[in-house]
Amino acid sequence: MSEDILSVGIDVGTSTTQLVFSQLTIDNTASIASIPIVRIVDKKVIYKSDIHFTPLISYKEIDGLGVRKIIEKEYERANIKPEEVGTGAVIITGETARKENAKEILNNLSGLAGDFVVATAGPDLEGIIAGKGAGAAIFSKEKLTTIANLDIGGGTTNIAVFKDGEVIDTACLDIGGRLIKVENNKISYISDKIKKLATSIGLEINIGDTADKNKIKKITDRMAVLLEEVVGIRPPSDDLEYIVTNKDLKRDYKIEYISFTGGVADYIKASEEMDFKYGDIGVILGESIFNSKVVKEKKIYKPIETIRATVVGAGSHTTDISGSTIYYSEDVLPIKNIPILKLTEEDEKSSYERISEIISDKINWFNLENEKQLVGLAMKGVRNSSFDEVQSLAKAITKGMKEMVQSNFPLIVILENDLAKALGQNINIQLNHKKNLVCIDSIKVENGDYIDIGKPIASGTVVPVVVKTLLFGY
Amino acid sequence: MITENQLRNIIEQVIGEINVKDKEEVKSNNISNYCSEDNCNEEDIPDITAVNLRKEMDVENPVNREAYLKLKEYTDARLGISRAGARYKTFSQLRFRADHAVAMDAVFTYVSDEFIEDMELFSVNTMCKDKDEYLTRPDLGRRFDEEAIKTIKEKCVMNPQVQIYISDGLSSTAIETNAKDTYKSIVQGLNSYGIKAGTPFFVKHGRVPAMDFLSEIINPDVIIVLIGERPGLATGESMSCYMAYKPKVGMPESRRTVVSNIHKNGTSAVEAGAYIAEVIKKMLDQKASGLDLKL
Repeated sequence: MSEDILSVGIDVGTSTTQLVFSQLTIDNTASIASIPIVRIVDKKVIYKSDIHFTPLISYKEIDGLGVRKIIEKEYERANIKPEEVGTGAVIITGETARKENAKEILNNLSGLAGDFVVATAGPDLEGIIAGKGAGAAIFSKEKLTTIANLDIGGGTTNIAVFKDGEVIDTACLDIGGRLIKVENNKISYISDKIKKLATSIGLEINIGDTADKNKIKKITDRMAVLLEEVVGIRPPSDDLEYIVTNKDLKRDYKIEYISFTGGVADYIKASEEMDFKYGDIGVILGESIFNSKVVKEKKIYKPIETIRATVVGAGSHTTDISGSTIYYSEDVLPIKNIPILKLTEEDEKSSYERISEIISDKINWFNLENEKQLVGLAMKGVRNSSFDEVQSLAKAITKGMKEMVQSNFPLIVILENDLAKALGQNINIQLNHKKNLVCIDSIKVENGDYIDIGKPIASGTVVPVVVKTLLFGY
Repeated sequence: MITENQLRNIIEQVIGEINVKDKEEVKSNNISNYCSEDNCNEEDIPDITAVNLRKEMDVENPVNREAYLKLKEYTDARLGISRAGARYKTFSQLRFRADHAVAMDAVFTYVSDEFIEDMELFSVNTMCKDKDEYLTRPDLGRRFDEEAIKTIKEKCVMNPQVQIYISDGLSSTAIETNAKDTYKSIVQGLNSYGIKAGTPFFVKHGRVPAMDFLSEIINPDVIIVLIGERPGLATGESMSCYMAYKPKVGMPESRRTVVSNIHKNGTSAVEAGAYIAEVIKKMLDQKASGLDLKL
């Protein structure tokens, strides 16, 4: 019963805009005598676009229409119609991921990117997606090791650390190849943060200065030192704290391997005198990193994608599949952008009465200015619950989610452990079959996440799910 | 030539070393710590079957303990149990025998009367008179005598949409552990589809094809049995659900649908029940089962 889904990945970054189409194959992996276990069994990138410079109106403002034109053209070249696309993600990354830009891109891409394509951003997610696209996540799982993927782009370095296939840490630093730009051998742009970083090592550079490689090299060497610090080769300095965009690594584990992705990754090698080849400092930064202890002292994993890691990640690694025994009402899916209310483990250990109180308390957090909004309830759920326990939980949820039940929104419950079908049936009975309900499992989400649930696939056995970490944190 | 004295010294030394080593090693699994001849309290003996084998690692000085343990998470196979000379270690040997005993018990014990009463079932016996006959005469485990047929006809609603019954099969333990939760979940699932189930009952000494015989008596559209699976060394608690659309005695096995592996480390009892209810609905809709059924 193998089935293919076409997935699109679009990455609109500070410097480049790219697109890939991937084919995800899903199949039942269980034996005929068992309950089906539908999984994504194969992921294949079937089309890679050219790497385009992101059209900008100014240094901070994106040209939405320009982006649309690029994407339209790539669809044409790939000979794919938007309606053929089943899932995927538009990732808006780096400095570009400001709210106004994201909105602009969304508006321009609407209708173009298929029915079930999500737009998302946020440095943590970006790093994770790049690490998955690079193959670092799989590598750590197969080798049972810990790897940090450094996605060094134009504006930021997004780091995701994977241990045995799971993300254990993320960070984002303002280190990138296009934080200083060069035109006609003169400096045409320098980010405020880098200007201050330069000052801290006794250098002054200004827009209009002649681009002096030796001077720039001192700055990129300093950047490389900060990368040594962030992966734990050197003790962290105050400058590291300063250069962190939103969040530093915890460094309470040992990193065995390092991999590099992003535009700068291809230039982490001995210098070939190309200096300001792309009108920026990317090549020089690559050389500085090549000579740093990050490369010399850590084991290096050569990723399967470098500059395309994020877009491949967006195309191939954003869609998950729910568990294969789930419950949903006909015709309510797809539903997009469902904010998550997750119960803590402590909450779940409470009495059923208390659980229902906790839910109705917490659901109020989402009601801004008396305006109700759709909220999905997430919990871990107890493995091997008895029937009576499932029934009591269904009652507690129905009572706690009273506001949702009385609204026009469907009731959405997301579990980690495999009990969604039984729980769904029980909730449905509590609701007298009168309410739209979606109850799925084998999906891990956290508070602050948003999720999209797609139309059922594999003869209605499973639903595709995209979990998005909090959007637009700027 | 070694003198007798020298030989004795050597032996003493070797034995001394062995003793020291033993004491260091067998801290956790040494049963004599808990039980001496004049003071043996059963409660003090550690339950070796309580040890989760997937998390046990007995290889000394492994190159990568974590990787080995990760590997063990995927299987019930007894990996990394180490050895003493050419033999298993005492713990492995005892655990193996204990697991075998669990499997034997699952086959040879009966589902308790309390369990059957608690589920408000009546009980009928196949033509097997005891466990020995049950094990040696599969043909008798598929049929019922006149008296049993009479009981069934008296107590059961005839021609129901769905007939559910429960049978010991090869593991009474599996039934006592899972059948109640699965049954409740199936019935509720059927209710929400508006499907009516007949009168449930219990079959002692039952083989799977007994359902064909019963179907000919009760004449339901779909008949299903929750039955104990042949136990293995990994679990004695695994239950299956066999289902068929209007089966007849002698029909090909390919007309049977099965959901197996219902136990706490497989599919959970409640979730299995919810799934089974849906399969039953599909059987009724498609008027088919087994390979003819599209799931």
